[in-house]
Amino acid sequence: MTNTRILTTLGLGALVFTAACSDKHYDILNTNAPTVEQLTGAPSKAILARAALGSAANMNADLGGEMSFFAIFGREGYNLLGNDPRLTQEMLRGPLEAGGFGGANFQGKFIALRTINTYLASIDAAADMTAAEKAASKGFGQTLKAVLFHRLIVRNGVLGTPIRVDADLNAEPAPFVSQANTYAYLVALLDSAKTNLLAGGAAFPFLTPPGFETANTPAAFLRFNRAYAAKVHVHRATLANAGNSSYSAALTALGESFVNSAGSLTDGVYYAFSTASGEPNNPITEGLAAQRFYIHPSLVTGAQLKGNGQPDDRRTSKVTLATGDGANRVTGGLTGTHKPTMFNTSAGAADLGADVAIIRNEELILLRAEANWFAGSKQAAIDDINTVRTRAGGLGPVALTVGSTNDQFITALMYERTYSLLWEQGTRWVDARRFGKTSTLPIDRAGDVIFPNMLILAAECDARGLTVPCTPPVQ
Amino acid sequence: MGIYRRLLGLGLAALFALPGVVNAQGRQISGTVTRKAGGGPVAEAVVAVVGTANSTRTDAQGKFTVEAPAGQVRLTVRAIGFTRSDALVSGSQATVNFSLDQDVFKLDEVVVSGQVTTVERRNSTTSIGYVSGEDLTKVASPTIEGALYGKLAGVNIQGNGGAPGGGMQMQIRGNNTILGAFDPLFVVDGVIYSNARVLGGRSTIDNGASVLEDDPANRLADINPADIASIEVLKGAAAAAIYGSKAASGVVVIKTIRGAAGATRVNVSQRVGTFDLMRKYEARVYANAAAAVTSHGANAGTYLASNSLTPYNHYEQVWGKNRVSYETVADVSGGTETTKYFMSATTKRDNAIEPGTGFSRQALRVNVDQTLGSKVEISVSSVFNRADHARGWGNNCNNYACYGYALAYIPSYIDLRKRADGSYVNPSSGGGVASNPLQTAEFSRNQAETYRFTGGTTITYKAFTNEKQSLRFVASGGADLFNQNDELWSPNDLFYEASQSRPGTSIQNNGKSRQMNWNVSGIHNFRSGGLGLTTSAGVQYEDRRLLTSRITTDNLVPGQQNVNQGTNVVVGQTLTPERTFAVYGQEDIQMFDDRLLVTVGARAERSSANGDIGKYFVYPRVSGKYSFRDLIGAGSEFKLRASYGELGNQPNFGNKFTVLGTPQFGGQNGFAVGTVAGDPNIEPERVKEVEAGFDLNLASGRVNLDVTAFRRRTTNLLLSRTPAPSTGFTSQIINGGQISNKGIEVVLGLVPIQGRNLSWTSSTSLSVVRSNVDSLPVPPFRPPGSGFGGLGVLFIEQGKSLTRKFGPTFNEAGVLEQTDLGDTNPDFRLGFTNSVTYKSVNIAMTVDWQSGGVVTNLTQLLYDDGQTAVDFGTQAYTDRWDGPRSFAVGGSVGPYIESASFLKLRELSVNWGLPKSVTQALGIGAREARLGLTGRDLFWSTPYTGLDPEVSNFGSAAIRSAVDVTPYPPSRSVFFNVAISF
Repeated sequence: MTNTRILTTLGLGALVFTAACSDKHYDILNTNAPTVEQLTGAPSKAILARAALGSAANMNADLGGEMSFFAIFGREGYNLLGNDPRLTQEMLRGPLEAGGFGGANFQGKFIALRTINTYLASIDAAADMTAAEKAASKGFGQTLKAVLFHRLIVRNGVLGTPIRVDADLNAEPAPFVSQANTYAYLVALLDSAKTNLLAGGAAFPFLTPPGFETANTPAAFLRFNRAYAAKVHVHRATLANAGNSSYSAALTALGESFVNSAGSLTDGVYYAFSTASGEPNNPITEGLAAQRFYIHPSLVTGAQLKGNGQPDDRRTSKVTLATGDGANRVTGGLTGTHKPTMFNTSAGAADLGADVAIIRNEELILLRAEANWFAGSKQAAIDDINTVRTRAGGLGPVALTVGSTNDQFITALMYERTYSLLWEQGTRWVDARRFGKTSTLPIDRAGDVIFPNMLILAAECDARGLTVPCTPPVQ
Repeated sequence: MGIYRRLLGLGLAALFALPGVVNAQGRQISGTVTRKAGGGPVAEAVVAVVGTANSTRTDAQGKFTVEAPAGQVRLTVRAIGFTRSDALVSGSQATVNFSLDQDVFKLDEVVVSGQVTTVERRNSTTSIGYVSGEDLTKVASPTIEGALYGKLAGVNIQGNGGAPGGGMQMQIRGNNTILGAFDPLFVVDGVIYSNARVLGGRSTIDNGASVLEDDPANRLADINPADIASIEVLKGAAAAAIYGSKAASGVVVIKTIRGAAGATRVNVSQRVGTFDLMRKYEARVYANAAAAVTSHGANAGTYLASNSLTPYNHYEQVWGKNRVSYETVADVSGGTETTKYFMSATTKRDNAIEPGTGFSRQALRVNVDQTLGSKVEISVSSVFNRADHARGWGNNCNNYACYGYALAYIPSYIDLRKRADGSYVNPSSGGGVASNPLQTAEFSRNQAETYRFTGGTTITYKAFTNEKQSLRFVASGGADLFNQNDELWSPNDLFYEASQSRPGTSIQNNGKSRQMNWNVSGIHNFRSGGLGLTTSAGVQYEDRRLLTSRITTDNLVPGQQNVNQGTNVVVGQTLTPERTFAVYGQEDIQMFDDRLLVTVGARAERSSANGDIGKYFVYPRVSGKYSFRDLIGAGSEFKLRASYGELGNQPNFGNKFTVLGTPQFGGQNGFAVGTVAGDPNIEPERVKEVEAGFDLNLASGRVNLDVTAFRRRTTNLLLSRTPAPSTGFTSQIINGGQISNKGIEVVLGLVPIQGRNLSWTSSTSLSVVRSNVDSLPVPPFRPPGSGFGGLGVLFIEQGKSLTRKFGPTFNEAGVLEQTDLGDTNPDFRLGFTNSVTYKSVNIAMTVDWQSGGVVTNLTQLLYDDGQTAVDFGTQAYTDRWDGPRSFAVGGSVGPYIESASFLKLRELSVNWGLPKSVTQALGIGAREARLGLTGRDLFWSTPYTGLDPEVSNFGSAAIRSAVDVTPYPPSRSVFFNVAISF
């Protein structure tokens, strides 16, 4: 009896001791939030679906900053709020500060890329996904990744961008890749995504994220992938020595995209915003009495006239006279009279739920016009330009012929692109840089300048041991 | 008949004497132990035969009988509160009497030397701070930290503000971490005791700059000081190494009172007193209405058209009340040789100076010690507490909800008091801000109610004992559980709520803590002649978790506090669990009749907080002392001691995780990699310390000097690094760098007078500590709660002090530059306690002097900004605020950086023990009765122009920022007490 008791006691003691010693007992998970191990371990389809949604949700990183900064750099408008003198000084005449506005809109996209890269690296480990589902997921992630890197190279220009940013955190920072090599990488990445999407079966293994409604199956998403590929090809074509092969590649891609002269000009894929609780809001929109964003005077007065003598419809709908406290705002010697209202309700009120296009039909038609012109199909180019003029602006045909010079074509194209894509992605600045036309942009005050690109964020220079502002060596 | 009885008696005596006869060499020695002063018997004294395991305890009359071997032996006598005494007893001597001195400097108290081993302080190999329960309760204190001011060397106690019921911090030997846990480890009766600060959410309502401004009480406030028998502070790494990776900031071991065999004793004490506003801001007097309009705008003119310019002191209006506070403590103790108990009950209520605020605590404690047979002892400690904190609205806030902040912007001619019709004036109608503190006090609520149970058990099994050796096993464990519930309500009709976008906020906050620990140890003792070897080893397990959750609702329906009754509901929940398992061993070697003592030990532990949960981190210790006896006069003792130890500081929960954010998109939550990268290989910080010192005890124990120097380094710091932004992370947790603290602690105890009727004892403790950032693998940075940018912040930089303030000020050449503004660490801290007893009257006092250190007086800055400063318009005001080198013009914060020196009379008490004739005349059977009048913080001297230089707007922190932003004002207290013992 006594022995039994002793044995029982010892046994219980041993149990407690064993429990206290087992590794599992000390492997306490973080229950406050999911951890990255849930993604990098052996994720299920359901977890990867969440990561796909998170990847899409992060696409709007830096977006508001890009839209407004690029618009100001390209003189589509101003920020006249006046609460920070740099808005009308550093932003318009420099010098850009790598730790200030010059380094802005840099990190958000890398944060988004960290999620997408983690997602992409985890897909193969999922046990409950078919090969087709995995391929579809990869095609989705790769395409989003390409969009972010493209936005980075547009921002950074000749400075290039780090690409291998999926490396271990404790490794040396990823080397910068030159602009030309970045475009080569983007083309390859989008093509790889295409291959995956073609093998992606009939449906994605996740719910369609907001903004992607027209790209809700691998097949439909491929049309978005090709549309963006066309944009990348066209941008690449205007780089020095890129050659016309990029324009023909663009035309091929456009043929596989959703471009449609007769289709709605707003068909496309969007950064989605919503007024619902907890959802992201449109970062630009504001009422007519707000004192922040204004349209550049050159675009208020520079619109072409329709047959009835009224200005271009795009000017009428996207540029609206400021009212109340917003009227006639003067800051830093600059005057704002009109507000950008492309994201407002028809009544002119702010619309926090207004989506912003990643790429849409109207842009595709103009990309096709550019590719056709430089690939030699000049009449087709003129037709495309006229399609947009008629349908978006209510204007008559453009004064171009197949005999017009490239310069005349570029000038005409830039007009259409500026008004069609006003305040959406800094088109005026981007095009002026692409076509070497920065000198044609209006300068309001002596000493103001047009910047060739934004700067590498100071902390990025610091992490590489480079003096700020830095031009990291590129590969 | 008589002869038979005598014969029988003799027979019985022979029978009982038999064991003694069988043990051919044994004999018995008996005697009496008395106290030298007064001559009364000393009960419960331990009488031991040196070199054997034989010992006994004296009875209530001080009598003892102990078995001893034949021949000459040495007996020692120890009793709590008395110095040890020993005597040689010749082989033929059968009786010996002892007369014990009072142990004024507590050198014979037994303190912790290992996980399960103890040593008399006299023989301790490390410097251990010690405060007896008696010294804690002389003067009423809301919490135990307040009662420790000035009584310990090397322990820097700082209050965060004047709010009732705590909110204090103990720092032992400097700042030993930057981002890690910074509190000492508190152990009460063997149970690891939580001193958590559960944030209530006040900064959400008052729009503070950071959650650190919630100003919570620390949960040490739950301990009833009257229950405490002793507090030991393990300062050095060698002493604290037994607690491993939770002890980097020192260990505070608290023991509660236990029962003693003998007649039942009952103590009842009643305190009644009040709190009184200690310092205040004076009201600006306006020359005329025009001056008021210039400062406060057109509303001032409108208001003054129908009101006079009579100045009101708003501090007196808001904090001028003296309300009755009380504390009742009763305990019963007693028992037999086998069963001893101590039971206590307390209830207290501190009605503080701010209306609606106060602190109350109720506690019920039962401690029982039970002996089972001759080999097993069981000790149980248990206490149930309830605490209620109402701490009001202090410190920084950006919507004028906080009283002091609002007052800086309310001109003095506005009478804040309730009007006859029950309404309050809105100060904005007179040029002030829209907030009336008295209205807020009447209608708002900021209360925390806590229920807590702490209980532990120790079972000792004496497996084997003989004259030379003994073996025992000790199993102990316990749990500490509390549940704190905060209720905050800012009704939407308060003046400052009217301008909020969603007026009216209600918060239900909950903090639920559970800590458990157990250990099993074996202790083997070997003693032979002058040599003693104690070997101990064991295992320990600790399990802690804190779950906090909160519901915040704003845009409330008028008059409703329920969190359902609003439109904007925000909920949150955080769980921080941690488990540790440790194995430890220690060897204590005593030689040369206890002159030499060397301790070598190590603890190896694993923890769930570490990146590698299977890895055992080893914390070694080695310490030794040698005592020279009779070197400086007979009875003197000079002890040299030195030690080296290592400690850990666990990573914070979550440091090893990289979390996934859950952005909402299209009504669903996605996963997105968080921007803070955890380190899956994170390790504990490591503190390494060398300590050396000496103790000198001479003049028959009337002079005692204790000098200790230490140098501690923390390596492998928890730091936050900024990786390349292109990695997609904004910060990364890493281990690296090194900080160091070095310092000196001196304690001088004196007994200038020791007579039959008059005695005077005095103790002075000096602490000096300096820190340095030895290496920092990250750019200079601001630690958490460092201050307000542009207003002077703490700035961690290699080669500089950890506590340096950095900010904009003018240099000699008149150029504004970012520079050192001073150091928040004082040059030294000095405590001075005195106790004079004349017959039955005792007068005691404790003085606490802090010299040096700086504090940023942003309260003054707010008064200057609000143009309500009493010296508005004078040169002094211009120099600070709007002169050419002032804040408003140049941005220099220099004028607001002030000295934090102070001298505070922490405690003053007069106690009178009623003569026997009086207690007997009372007719209630009282054994003893005392009357007392005690005061806390009665007198201050400080060059600081603000309220209290001992302040922290950002609460407790690893590195305190010493920023003063309109805190709850300080108060002094006076209590009258009656204590009766039966």
